[in-house]
Amino acid sequence: MSSVDLLQTLGNKYSAEILDATDEPRSAQELSDELEIPIATCYRRIDELTENNLLELHDNILSDDRRRIKVYRRNVDSVRIDFGEELGVTIEERQEVTNTLDEAWRTLSEG
Amino acid sequence: MIELTKTGIDGLDDILNGGIVKNSTTLVSGNPGAGKSILGLQYIYNGVEMFDEDGIFLSFEESEKDLRQAAESIGFDNWQQYVDEGRITVYDKQVLLRENDFSSSLELLLGELDDENYERLVLDSLTMFKLFFDTEREQRTYLLKFTDILADNELTTLMTNEQGQIFPETEINLENFLTDGNIYLIQTPTDSGVSRYVWVAKMRKQNIETDIFPMEITDGGITVHHNASAFSMMSENDSPL
Repeated sequence: MSSVDLLQTLGNKYSAEILDATDEPRSAQELSDELEIPIATCYRRIDELTENNLLELHDNILSDDRRRIKVYRRNVDSVRIDFGEELGVTIEERQEVTNTLDEAWRTLSEG
Repeated sequence: MIELTKTGIDGLDDILNGGIVKNSTTLVSGNPGAGKSILGLQYIYNGVEMFDEDGIFLSFEESEKDLRQAAESIGFDNWQQYVDEGRITVYDKQVLLRENDFSSSLELLLGELDDENYERLVLDSLTMFKLFFDTEREQRTYLLKFTDILADNELTTLMTNEQGQIFPETEINLENFLTDGNIYLIQTPTDSGVSRYVWVAKMRKQNIETDIFPMEITDGGITVHHNASAFSMMSENDSPL
């Protein structure tokens, strides 16, 4: 994915709002309701953002009516754009206690 | 044959039938002032002093200086020397909560576990550690992952746990089930001061004595009176844990 494509994804309508709202895990339906995004668009944006690794599928939670719901969380803390010799986009990944433990634990299971 | 890690605390190892199962995680629960942190200090200190086993003390509650003073106040005179020699490594609240960034401290800690040969770890307290996770589900998942990581690094761990209820009421939470051992420290006020007791309620893979035994905190730390008349809260089979 080139820097321009990444910026394109970020620039799409609602993308920034979705990232802003997903500090805590949110479902597509919640995002659609809170941000007043048409649900189909919301799913499309989530897919694009997930493909670009800006958003991640956090969990499949069980709803009150016992259905599985996918919840998403943003994967980035900041995005920096550099205009120099070449356009560059740097993504600062979100670093959290959970990531750190996940990573350490993954190394274990690989043995 | 199950390998054991001795606490080196008079009487406690007897109740534990020799010690704590190596590489396990034991929860030490009690009200404020029951002696949880002292038990942790003593466990780490005895490791170096008696068994030549190095340890790590993680404290969200106190500074390195507080810990040293607490240790020295109960006669662990070589505490600072062991810290200086790197045999006891302290991550105090200033380090753990620096810039509100527990994640980097955790990475530092995990790196240290990889490099060095520690055998004992104390987390004071689990109550604080849990605050870094948003949901009960996350707390559960990451407590399990953390204990896996500790076991993989061959650490025998004590985690202290704040207990709001006054004995014999006890809060039994997820962490009681998720850890290998449960020790309760109990204090009851009396006319002349306070009576203290210890109850080992659960220890996986070990045949323990589940009676409640009196203990004291004096110069030299905790002493458990294993031979004093113990009183049984319930028969072994009725233990809720």
